[in-house]
Amino acid sequence: MPVRIQLDRLLVERRMSLAELADRTGVSADNLAILKAGEARALRFSTLDALCRELDCHPGDLLGWEPDSPPVG
Amino acid sequence: MRALGPGSISSFLKSVLDIVWVLLLVSLVILSAGLLYGVLAAFNPDMPFAGRIRFDGLDRLQAWAVVLVRMLTALLFVAGFLLVVSRLRDIFATLKAGDPFHPENVNRLRVVALGLAWLELVRYAVWVLGALLPPQAAPDRPNLSLAAWFSVLVVVVLAEVFREGARLRRESELTI
Repeated sequence: MPVRIQLDRLLVERRMSLAELADRTGVSADNLAILKAGEARALRFSTLDALCRELDCHPGDLLGWEPDSPPVG
Repeated sequence: MRALGPGSISSFLKSVLDIVWVLLLVSLVILSAGLLYGVLAAFNPDMPFAGRIRFDGLDRLQAWAVVLVRMLTALLFVAGFLLVVSRLRDIFATLKAGDPFHPENVNRLRVVALGLAWLELVRYAVWVLGALLPPQAAPDRPNLSLAAWFSVLVVVVLAEVFREGARLRRESELTI
């Protein structure tokens, strides 16, 4: 999927661990790991709200978009 | 009473299906052994019971042919039922666990539909095979059972419903 969650970068910038973010937002560490790995299919507004609040960022800072690589051949 | 989960109607039906499955399995073994013995006895009159099979107006080999065709018919029916019950057991195990939209249930329901179609086709095959038998032992022409074919289609549609359910469950699991 071309939409990426920039959780890694934001966690490094905020010097926060995934477990700490899970604790603060109430989103389980397993779900945050799925989000971080780019395996999530959808993101609830409530989750986005909690992430933005705890990471002190805007949704645009959290989400990125990269075009799919064109098929080879 | 709850429909899903432990102690529910599904759990009760799973137990019933377990018993039916064992009975069908035993029947299949007995019929297979009987069929094998029948084939040997038909060509070897010295075997025990080989000369005891008699039908009015039929010689020994013809009488055995009638018995063997009937045993083969029963075997094919039992095999079909066993297939259907076996897959239903698997499906009901997931219902008992409270997980109806298990991805495997889609294929299981498709197999159930094929099993039901098989049972219906066996009826026609038996009639065709009956043409080889003496007229007095030939089975009656089967009626076209619309209910049976309707059931097959309903199960095929249910399989698709379960496929959609499994997809939605997966989507839901990956919604954070």
